[in-house]
Amino acid sequence: MSQRKSYAVGTGMFIVLGFAALVYLATQTSSIANSHQGASYTVDAQFANIGALKERAPVKVAGVRIGQVQSISLEPGKDVADVSLSIDKKYAQIPADSVATIYTSGLLGDQYVGVQFGNAKNYLADGGHIGLTKSTQPLEEMLGKFLGGGSAADAIGGTYNVKASFTNVGALAVGAPVKMAGVAIGSVTDVKADPVKLDATVTMSIDKKYNQIPDDSAAAIFTSGLIGSQYVAIQPGGSPNSLKDGDQLVLTQSAVQLEDLIGKFLVSGSSSGSNANNGGNNNPAGNGSSNPNAGKH
Amino acid sequence: MSAQVHRENVVLQSLGQIGSCGLFLLRVLAAVPRSLRHVRETVRQLWFVGAMSLTIIMTCGLFVGMVLGLQLYHVLAIFGGTSASGSVVALSIYRELGPVVTALLFAGRAGTSITAEIGLMRATDQIAAMEMMAVDPIAYVVAPRFLAGLIAMPLLCCVFCAMGIFGGHLVGVSWLGVDNGTFWSNMTSTVDVYQDIINGVIWKSVGFGAVCSLIAVFQGYTTAPTSEGVAYATTRTVVASSIAILALDFILTAFLM
Repeated sequence: MSQRKSYAVGTGMFIVLGFAALVYLATQTSSIANSHQGASYTVDAQFANIGALKERAPVKVAGVRIGQVQSISLEPGKDVADVSLSIDKKYAQIPADSVATIYTSGLLGDQYVGVQFGNAKNYLADGGHIGLTKSTQPLEEMLGKFLGGGSAADAIGGTYNVKASFTNVGALAVGAPVKMAGVAIGSVTDVKADPVKLDATVTMSIDKKYNQIPDDSAAAIFTSGLIGSQYVAIQPGGSPNSLKDGDQLVLTQSAVQLEDLIGKFLVSGSSSGSNANNGGNNNPAGNGSSNPNAGKH
Repeated sequence: MSAQVHRENVVLQSLGQIGSCGLFLLRVLAAVPRSLRHVRETVRQLWFVGAMSLTIIMTCGLFVGMVLGLQLYHVLAIFGGTSASGSVVALSIYRELGPVVTALLFAGRAGTSITAEIGLMRATDQIAAMEMMAVDPIAYVVAPRFLAGLIAMPLLCCVFCAMGIFGGHLVGVSWLGVDNGTFWSNMTSTVDVYQDIINGVIWKSVGFGAVCSLIAVFQGYTTAPTSEGVAYATTRTVVASSIAILALDFILTAFLM
């Protein structure tokens, strides 16, 4: 009997220890330790793009956690995400015109919803709605802005399309900026190889604000910095007529291949330089380095 | 049985083993309600496979946590991310090492002794004697051990994980100088209680507990009634359990993630 009692007690202690360990793991080492306690109220906000925001992600004001994301769903029939935020009752005094923004903590961190207070006198209530939201910024877009050296054209007044043919577009990608005097005036919408002329046709959409560009302007593919992304630069000409929708830019300068440049250095500008510059560029002028209109058609 | 015949039939034999193991599981599950009359026997087995395994589980958990803390510190130091060592230690213990190492230790510590005990009962005709006395050996001998393994494994795994976190903290914070606050706050912000603790620790170890104890009782119950047969059965328990744990680990991870 006494022996049985000892193992019964020991088994009981084992079970208690196991559950104590589980409670410790669940409450001390997991996100429960961070999650809010007590009453909360729910407000919803709509975002055009929530990026990698997850349920139970924190909601912060001035970096302090005030609640968490309760649910994320797609607004029926629209391409916007409906995010409902569960906010601690303690923080009831959030102005109704506050702005909700999706931020990333650090470069690689998780995403959270940041709330910036507005100036309204009335406060958000349970079931309320945050009307002003800023969606997540895709990293590519931000990097593109840095490397492109300026913001993309806002294209509010509509755009018109212009084509240009290049013998070599290098690494030009769809979405690359089109710039004039370093200012973004549009973007590349299409890069295609022409099956007949065997060159690349680049379609650019340019903001309607910039409709005074002479139709004999030249288009060149430049690289921003040494390792930056490539963009199309428009160099204005002198013609009195302006570019119109569907026009073609005749004067073009292709992307400069780094290999070609280095090749030219190494052979110190001798006649073989023109042969080295053969990246599809069958320009009879030969010495392409001094000719801005290389690849002219 | 000659070696030749044995080799030819090895595939069929393995399939037969898996099949009869599955049928045996059904018999055990059917006997579980009847075995609740012998609840004292289940408690005694729980003492034996659970409480008596605590020493090895706690020691191993501590060392696994310590070695993780040490290894991850040096890798993370390359990227200047030693403050993340808390979350990486916790995640690797919860999601993989805790359940798997606990189950492997359990198969070696408790599974073998269950097999040997039941196998010796079979070899010394105790099981036949029970049948003669109209005591169902499945309900009295097998089901309590199966239940005990099923209950003990998640509890042992929780203890293992807690010791692992403690070991990681000991090495990371006390010896290598990771900041105590960032260690814990990084851990609490990355570990998700449903994803990592309920799915990663609890459900996985329940699955491992079921598989390990089923293999142990099955090998013991179906052993050849000789001393050689018991030896083979014990070896097969360890081999089959280890393979089953690692294979099931992949499947459960894929489903629970």
